[in-house]
Amino acid sequence: MFLLLCFCKLFVTAVEMLTVVHWVKPGRTKSNHIQDIQNSDYPSSCCCDSRLILMAPTNQVLLKESSNVRTIILNRPKQLNALSLEMISRLSEVFHSYEEDPNVKLIIMKGEGRAFCAGGDVAAVVNDINKGSWKLGAFFFSKEFALNYFLATYTKPQVSLLRGIVMGGGAGVSIHGRFRVVTDNTVFAMPETALGLFPDVGASYYLSRLPGFFGEYVGLTGARLDGAEMLACGLATHFVPLEKLSLLEDALCKANSGDPKIISNIINGFSNKNPKLKEKSQYFRLKIIDRCFSRRTVEEIISALEKEADKSADDWILWTIQSLKKASPTSLKISLRSIREGRLQGVGQCLTREYRMVCTVMRGEFSRDFFEGCRALLLDKDKTPKWKPSKLELVGNDMVDRYFAALDDKDWKDLKLPARSSLPSYAISKL
Amino acid sequence: MDRVSFRTQVLTRHLNNHHSTSTDLLHPATCLSYSPPELWEQPPDYDTKSLRKLLDRDSMEEIDYMFNLMIQSNLFCRRERGGKVFILPDFNQSMEQQREMTMRRIGYLREQGVFDGWLTRKGPDAELSGFTRANSCGVFDHSFGIKLGVHFFLWGGAIQFMGTKRHHDKWLKPTETYEVIGCFAMTELGHGSNVRGIETVTRYDASTGEFIINTPCESAQKYWIGGAANHATHAVVFSQLEIDGANQGVHAFIAQIRDKDGNMCQNVRIADCGHKIGLNGVDNGRIWFDNVRIPRENLLNSVADVSPEGQYLSAIKDPLQRFAAFMAPLTSGRVTIAASSMNTTKKGLATAVRYSLSRRAFSMKPNEPEVLLLDYPSHQRRLLPLIAKTYALSFASEYLKTIYVKRTPESIKTVHVVSSALKATLTWHSMRTLQDCREACGGQGLKTENHVGQLKSEYDVQLTFEGDNNVLMQQVSKALFMEFLAAKKRGKPIKGLGLEHLNKPSPIIPSNLTSSNLRTTQFQTDIFCLRERDLLHRFVTEVSQRQAQGESKEHIFTVTYQIAEDLGRAFSDRLVLQTFLDVEATVPAGSLKNVLALMRSMYTTIVMEEDLSFLRYGYLSTGNAAVVRKEVMRLCSELRPHALPLVSSFGIPDALLGPVGFDWIDANAWSSV
Repeated sequence: MFLLLCFCKLFVTAVEMLTVVHWVKPGRTKSNHIQDIQNSDYPSSCCCDSRLILMAPTNQVLLKESSNVRTIILNRPKQLNALSLEMISRLSEVFHSYEEDPNVKLIIMKGEGRAFCAGGDVAAVVNDINKGSWKLGAFFFSKEFALNYFLATYTKPQVSLLRGIVMGGGAGVSIHGRFRVVTDNTVFAMPETALGLFPDVGASYYLSRLPGFFGEYVGLTGARLDGAEMLACGLATHFVPLEKLSLLEDALCKANSGDPKIISNIINGFSNKNPKLKEKSQYFRLKIIDRCFSRRTVEEIISALEKEADKSADDWILWTIQSLKKASPTSLKISLRSIREGRLQGVGQCLTREYRMVCTVMRGEFSRDFFEGCRALLLDKDKTPKWKPSKLELVGNDMVDRYFAALDDKDWKDLKLPARSSLPSYAISKL
Repeated sequence: MDRVSFRTQVLTRHLNNHHSTSTDLLHPATCLSYSPPELWEQPPDYDTKSLRKLLDRDSMEEIDYMFNLMIQSNLFCRRERGGKVFILPDFNQSMEQQREMTMRRIGYLREQGVFDGWLTRKGPDAELSGFTRANSCGVFDHSFGIKLGVHFFLWGGAIQFMGTKRHHDKWLKPTETYEVIGCFAMTELGHGSNVRGIETVTRYDASTGEFIINTPCESAQKYWIGGAANHATHAVVFSQLEIDGANQGVHAFIAQIRDKDGNMCQNVRIADCGHKIGLNGVDNGRIWFDNVRIPRENLLNSVADVSPEGQYLSAIKDPLQRFAAFMAPLTSGRVTIAASSMNTTKKGLATAVRYSLSRRAFSMKPNEPEVLLLDYPSHQRRLLPLIAKTYALSFASEYLKTIYVKRTPESIKTVHVVSSALKATLTWHSMRTLQDCREACGGQGLKTENHVGQLKSEYDVQLTFEGDNNVLMQQVSKALFMEFLAAKKRGKPIKGLGLEHLNKPSPIIPSNLTSSNLRTTQFQTDIFCLRERDLLHRFVTEVSQRQAQGESKEHIFTVTYQIAEDLGRAFSDRLVLQTFLDVEATVPAGSLKNVLALMRSMYTTIVMEEDLSFLRYGYLSTGNAAVVRKEVMRLCSELRPHALPLVSSFGIPDALLGPVGFDWIDANAWSSV
C-alpha cells in the first residue's frame, strides 16, 4: 500500500521571504485507528472497514530512552510530521505513562526531518468527514485538545526542540510545555484563518498572553515568526543555534535531571541569549500592531491598518491588510473573539471553548468555509477560496455567538478534560 | 532590544522560581501547599456563563474587551504572582504619580478609539455602552473610573442635558477627543447636598454681553472638584443667577479655567484639595472666581436663558420646579455609582471567597488536616449571605441602568427615586462587604496588592458623593409620602414605584413560620410588602398628625428621620426583591433557576435577620425571628457548594483580583522576593 501524498504550497508574499507552508493531503493514510476504534467514544456509525485493513505497526512516533530521559520523535517526515490521529493517540498514551513512571524525569520532543511538526492532519480530517460524519472530525479534535491540556498541565518538564516548521497542531504539542527551544531555521505560524478554521490547540490561551496585541496579529494574519521573534515575544524560552542542538540534547540526557533549574542552566549554556531580530522583523512593528490589533472588531482593525497604510504604506502593512482580506471572514471574527475570551480564561476553558468552536466548524451548519478552504488550498489548489459569507459585515454577532455555544445535538458533549491530580495556578481561571 | 532582554529576564525569573522540585532532605516532609479550589470543589451543574449573563446582560463582550485592553498594556502595572499575571494600580505611588498614571491610562484608551461616539452617539445602547466603559475602568481602579465619569457623565452630561444645540456642536466632539478636559463645579466648601444654597453669584453685563462669575466669600469656593487641581481646562460652574438684583436660582455656565498648556486663566484661582484617604488618582481641586467674564452663550440654557439685552426668559415660572427640571437628567451619576459599587463588591468577595477555599486553620483532631476556612459555619455566615445579596443588588443595578437609559419625561420621577434608594443601599452594602472581606482575608487583606483592604478607602466616597446616603433615604421616603398623598387626593389607586400592592388588602404573615414558609416567593413578597406598607402608613400618620398640630412641613421632615430611613430601606429592599423575581422569571426551570431561588431565599432571610425594623414593628415575632436565624444557618450550608461558581460568575477576570485568591504560597515564596 503506498501513500498518496500531495503537498500544497501556499505562497505568501511576505516582505522578507517567500514562505512555503505544507499541508498534507493523504488520499489514504496508513492510520492505525485500532485503539481508538476500540474506544467506546469513537463514533461507531462512522467507522469504515477500510481503516482496519490499512492498519500498520506504529512507527509515526519513535521513542528513545536514556536512563531517566525520554525522547519522543515525531516521525512522519514526508508529511512534515503532521499529526495523524494515530500519532495523537500514541502521544497521549506515552505522556500518560511517563507521568506515572517514577523513572522518567525529563521529556524531550523533536521532529524527524526538516520540520518539527506542520500541524494537525486536517486534510485527513476533511476526508474522514466527507466519507462519514462531522463527528469523526470532532473525535479527532477531542483527542488532540485533550492531549494539549494534558501537556499544559504536565508535572514533568518537557523540552521541545523546534527545528524547522512549527505550525498549528505542532505548536499545540510544544508551546504548552515548559521549555521551547527555537533555532536558526524555526518557522512558526498559526495559519488557520486562511483555511477557514481558527487558531486552535489552545492558541487562544498562549497567543492571548503574548505582549500587547501581538497574539491577535499572529492569530488573525497567520504571520510567520522566526526563532528570534518567537524568543522575543515569549513563545520560545531559549534560542539555541542549529549546530548546537544535538549537543544540547546529549547534555540533557547526560545530566539526567528533572529539576527545571538545572535544565534551564544547561539550555542556557548552549543558547544565544540575544539573537538578533532581522532588520525588517515584524516585531519592530509592535507599536502599530498594538494600535491596530487592539481594536474591538475585525472591521475596525482593518480600517485602523488602512489608516496606517495611508500614512506610510510599506510591504509589511500591505501584506498584513492583504492577508486579512484573503482570510475567511467568519474565521477572522470567531478567531478574534476566541483570543479575546481566551485572555481571561485558563487553558482548560480555552480548549473547551475551542472544542465547541471546532465542532461547529466541522458540522458546517453556519459556514462551510473550512471545507472550501481545504478544497481551494489543499485539493484543487486554485488558491481562490470562495468564502461564504463573503464579507465581514455579513457575519453578524448572533452568528458568531453560535460558535461559542454548546452544540444543539443530542449525542454531542463538551470536551472532557483529562482529570489532573494537581493544577498549576496558571492553568485555572474562573471565567 | 529592550523588549527582548525584558522578556528574557521575565522568563529566566519565571523558570528559576517555578515549582522547584529540588528537595532538601532537611526540610520537613509535609509542607502546606496551595491547591486550587477548582480541583476539588464540585463543578456546577449549570453554565456559569449563563449566570454571568444575568448580571452583565448584553454588555458582557464590551466589558471583557475593556479588560483585554487593560491587561495587555504596560500602563496597568502588570505583575506576576504565583505564575499568574495581575494588574493593579500602584498605591505606593505619590498622589502626583497616581494622577499622572490615571491621565496616561485615559490617553491610552483614547488612542484605541474607546471614547469615539461616547457623547455624540445617541440612544439607550450608546448610553449603556458609556456606563459599561466607565465602570469597567473602575474595576481596575476607582480613580480611573471616576476621572472618566467626571469628564463624560458630569461635564459631558451637563452639556448634553442642560445645554442646547449650540453647546452640543461646540463642546461634545472636543470632549470625546480630550481637546477639552471638563470638570463639574457644583459643590462648595459651605454647601454640598444642599445645592440650592450655593453662594457663587453670576450677574449679566448687557454692555458687553457677558456673564460675570464671582466667588463672594471663602465658603463659596468650589470644593472637591474632580479634575480641577491638575488637568481640567473647562468647568461647568453652578451659580446663583442674579438679573437686575433678582435671584433667579441656580444655573450652570461654562467657564474656561486653564489654557491648552495648563496655565490658569485670568481671574481664576485654583488650589489642590490635597492628599485623601483614597482616590488619589483623581485631582480634586478648589476654585475661586474673581469676577470671571464669560460669553452670554455659555449659559447652559435648556431650561432658561438670558437675552442679549439682559432679560431673563424661562418657560417654567416656579424657581423650585425650574431647579428640579434642571437637575433631573443628572441622575446618571447615581446610576454609575450604584453599578460601580457592585463591581467593587464582586472584586472583594471573589478574592475573599477564593482565599477561604484555599486557606486552612486548626484541625478537628490531632494529625488531621486543618479545616478549610469556608467549611467553618461561622465563616460561611460571614461571606455567603454577602454573595446572595450581591447578586440581588446587582440585578437591581441592572434594572436601574435600564430604566435610566429608557427614561421618558413621565418616568423621570421614578428614575430619581429608584436611583436615590439604590445608590444608598448598594454603596452601603459595598462598604460593609469590603470590611467583612478584609477581615476574612486576615492579614493578607491588609496588603494593597490584595486589593480588599485598600478598596475600602478607595470607595468610601461612594457613600457621600452624589448625595449623602442618609439624606437620599429621607428623600426617598418624602417622595413616597408625596405619591401616597397625591393618589389619595385624586381618589384613585396608587400607581408606580411598585407601590400597587398598597391597593390590595394587607398580607397576613403566618404566626408560626417554618423553613418552607421562608422559602416561598409568596411569603417573601408578603413580608417585604407588609413592612413597606406599614412604615409608609406610620410615616404618613405621623406627618399628618404633626401637620394638624401646626408644625411646618420642613420641621416635620427633619424630626421624622428615624421612620423615614426605615421606610427608605423597606422600599429599597422590596424593589430589590421584585427585580430578583423578574430576573428569575426569565430563566427556564433547571439547576440555574434552583440556585437563583436559593440565593433569593438567602437574600430575603438575611434582610429579615439584619434589619431591626422587622422586630421593632412586629412583622416578625421573637419566635419567628428565631426561625429566621436558624434558616440563615441552613441556607449557608446549602449555598456552600455553590460558593466558587457563584463568585466565578461575577465575571471579574483573575488578573483583576487579589493574588491572595490564587497561589498565595508561591506568590510569597522566597524565590519571588
